[in-house]
Amino acid sequence: MTKFALASTFEESLRSGYRLLPFRFAELDADRYVATNLAGEYVLLPREELRSFVFGKLDYGSSLYDTLKSRHFLIDDDSDVALDLLALKVRTKAHRLADFTGLHMFVATLRCEHSCPYCQVSRRSDDRIAFDMSLATADKALDLVFRSPSPSLKIEFQGGESMLNFELVRHVVREARRINRIQRRNLAFVIATNLALATDEILAFCRDNDVLISTSLDGPADLHNANRPRPGRDSHERTVRGIQRARAIVGRDKVSALMTTTVASLFRARDIIDEYIGLEFNGIFLRPLSPYGFAVKTKSYAAYDADEWLNFYFDGLDYILELNRAGYRFVEHYASLILTKMLTPFDTGYVDLRSPAGIGIGAIVYNYDGDVYASDEGRMLAEMGDKTFRLGNVHDDSWEQIMTSEALLDPLERSFAGSVPMCSECAFEPYCGADPVFHYATQGDVVGHKPTSRFCARNMAIFRHLIKLMEHDDTRRILLSWVRA
Amino acid sequence: MTHDPNEGPDEDIRVEFSSSVYSLDSVKRAAYAFTGRYAFDIRTEGDEIICIATGLGVQDGDSAAFIKCFRNAVLDQDLRESIASQTADVRNVILAHAFSKTGLQSD
Amino acid sequence: MLALATTKASFSAFPVGESSLLKLSTDPTLPAPLRPLRSFVITDASVPTGFQAYIGFEGRTPMDGLPPGSSTIVLPEEFSYLADGDVLRIIPAKTTVRVLYRRRSRQNFALVTERCNNYCLMCSQPPKPTDDSWLVDELLQLLPLIDRETREITFTGGEPTLLGDRFLTILRECSSWLPDTAIHILSNGRTFSNAAFTEKYAEIRHRDIMVGIPLYSDLSHRHDYVVQADGAFDETIRGILNLKRLRQRVEIRVVLHRQTVDRLPELAHFIARNLRFVDQVALMGLEMTGFTRANLQTLWIDPYDYRELLREAVEILDSAHVQVKIYNHQLCVLHRTLWRFARKSISDWKNEYLAECSDCAAREQCGGFFTSAKLRYSDHIEAVRAAEPVLA
Repeated sequence: MTKFALASTFEESLRSGYRLLPFRFAELDADRYVATNLAGEYVLLPREELRSFVFGKLDYGSSLYDTLKSRHFLIDDDSDVALDLLALKVRTKAHRLADFTGLHMFVATLRCEHSCPYCQVSRRSDDRIAFDMSLATADKALDLVFRSPSPSLKIEFQGGESMLNFELVRHVVREARRINRIQRRNLAFVIATNLALATDEILAFCRDNDVLISTSLDGPADLHNANRPRPGRDSHERTVRGIQRARAIVGRDKVSALMTTTVASLFRARDIIDEYIGLEFNGIFLRPLSPYGFAVKTKSYAAYDADEWLNFYFDGLDYILELNRAGYRFVEHYASLILTKMLTPFDTGYVDLRSPAGIGIGAIVYNYDGDVYASDEGRMLAEMGDKTFRLGNVHDDSWEQIMTSEALLDPLERSFAGSVPMCSECAFEPYCGADPVFHYATQGDVVGHKPTSRFCARNMAIFRHLIKLMEHDDTRRILLSWVRA
Repeated sequence: MTHDPNEGPDEDIRVEFSSSVYSLDSVKRAAYAFTGRYAFDIRTEGDEIICIATGLGVQDGDSAAFIKCFRNAVLDQDLRESIASQTADVRNVILAHAFSKTGLQSD
Repeated sequence: MLALATTKASFSAFPVGESSLLKLSTDPTLPAPLRPLRSFVITDASVPTGFQAYIGFEGRTPMDGLPPGSSTIVLPEEFSYLADGDVLRIIPAKTTVRVLYRRRSRQNFALVTERCNNYCLMCSQPPKPTDDSWLVDELLQLLPLIDRETREITFTGGEPTLLGDRFLTILRECSSWLPDTAIHILSNGRTFSNAAFTEKYAEIRHRDIMVGIPLYSDLSHRHDYVVQADGAFDETIRGILNLKRLRQRVEIRVVLHRQTVDRLPELAHFIARNLRFVDQVALMGLEMTGFTRANLQTLWIDPYDYRELLREAVEILDSAHVQVKIYNHQLCVLHRTLWRFARKSISDWKNEYLAECSDCAAREQCGGFFTSAKLRYSDHIEAVRAAEPVLA
């Protein structure tokens, strides 16, 4: 007669107690805490249970014990493979760091025919040829691009309005592809443009050379035009026409849109989303207002506070979830990025939510004049007179000099979330990032003062909100479907 | 109750902690989170750690609620100290393993 | 259920005491040089000459047209399914014949050993601690006789890796004789926690090989209970990690019963966070053989009763882009959204259908039951109505 041991036999080694694995916690709401482990996996538990857990009083028979053991918050004498698995997960999250700079922005020109109040670059008129990037500068910049070890390189054309210097775009795309015949990276191109000047010829070039289009769509006509004045006051009309033409010529999946939030947008979340739906976009990125450029100059940044924006965001998110529940698939992209960090072992490629920060080592900017900046926001600050984040110039400095400059290393090191006040102990740190340029611009130093940081308040509110949304089955299914592969 | 640390009244608020129970570090870290709305003067008197919070006049608040939140925050910091001391070694083991060349590869 | 062995074979003109493998042919035009290497299965009166032996079936086959002195075997009638390319083990001294390999079978299992270092509550091949190395000897003799067009062969046990280097030899010879045949290994994975062994395994560099490794819980103490071995969970996981580190294909298998379904969503979550890189996850229905009968009280749960837990688990895995397959479940006990994950997989020598199934619109798609399922059926078996759409 074969003998089988009871389940209790295998629980004997649990009797000797458990040991904590590293974790952080933060309040979720009045009753509960969020606890996150080294890999960013979370568990919700009431305050008293958290304290019992830390002080060794949790019973091995309880369901909380099982959850904490399964999710690597505790370890007992029965098993220690949790250490191997946590190490693997931590390594996986950090994996992208080794790829180094993946996003390379080329400022083709500062010229633009719009004069948007929130614009991060100064207004220039059409005839300032001095503000276009030269081919010589572009070639030097391309040398630097391919010095990055990243297996995937994305070249993004920015401005001003980059189509005003399309010769440069053509040149960079051709040259990059030529160099890549030997380098064999995954090469991608994007052009950020208002599409007002997109001729058939330009669009055909984009189609033939796999250049994706990213345009600005701030909402319905009245909102968009108020945000983006141009001679003729027909920015929205041109944008919509441009989108349809671009889809027809370049491809329907090759055209994306980004909104910018202004004071005027704050009560129009649903209208803006409806605009995107009406144009058959399958998602939207509800962005915060940037504190740079004209926004600060014209005081439109000071005009609203974090709470108003959060109301805007949550209202928009609510509306989007309603649509999803009714069967219409539409994604909010910021939530999608955060959910990917919360629910998968992977990090995303998104440079603005990274620690160490994405400046330089995630994304880098080559300005029209050859100056190299740690981020697009760093460039905007320079346009406002502050060159703190200027790393060098493509004509004067080598890749090594640029990437090891104090201007880059210093903010990277000092803003690292794992070592700064509040962030180092924050449960949400795995989902968040360091944003040294934002904190420098708004608070005067790269670390910032997190108790009054808009970046911190905004993100923490969103993390808490998403965690609470995940508790409802139907919403959780929708949010899970937004997680990036 | 989650008290928004950035709301507070105008007059000084005095909160005391026993130094035989709480570390000075815990009190300072807890106070830091409220420095958006209060300025803190922290000192020790015998067995007590004294915190004097002065409202920065930014927004009206309920001082009783603030005190409750602040006390809980100090308790939480104390908990964090306990976790840190219990897990410091295993944390180093895991991180060393995660970033070692002979460790598991992720690609 | 096909008969695979008999002790009632009648041998004639066979050297006594010799045990050997015979490869069958039904081809009367087989070239003469090959005939001494094949045994001919007689179907009618015409009997080609030159074969090593002749096989007939009791009450069916006229054995009188044979050349005098021919070696013959007469098998019971239920073996008349035997066909071209099949391989038999014959032991004339014990009037025994075993069918080792059937070319037409969609699934080929090779038992490598009955020894095991786990002792699962539901083991369908209860371990025996005896020295059964003769199984390996027989297998190595069998490999060259297997049709090289065989799609897949599964090595099973017991625990095949307990054979150590001999097991690796089997894999290498299988790769040599059957270069186009995929290999599936059923193993508890524990031996792969030894990095050196895993490296030797990886060095075989087989073009299509996968290890199927059971994992029964997200909790070590629950998994160890199901497999009745302390420390098994840690070794199994380390084995999986070692295999994936060397880019070897791994399938995680979960047998669903009362001791594994309660935390099935948690296990799915655990796999999605920790073992996402596995090549697939197979969720298997319980087989009523071996130890299951002894532990039925502990193990039995009507599959219909865990359909929600199963759905949740599959959703978690599918959202994480882990490939999921459901085996050995009738479609009527599965949530409809899971039908696309179900595979018709019961070995053709084990499956049957019930009376309820005769009108079922989904019968073609459904795998039916293990013969052994007679021991205990779900209370919810019912025909799918033709009006309902049957998902492809």
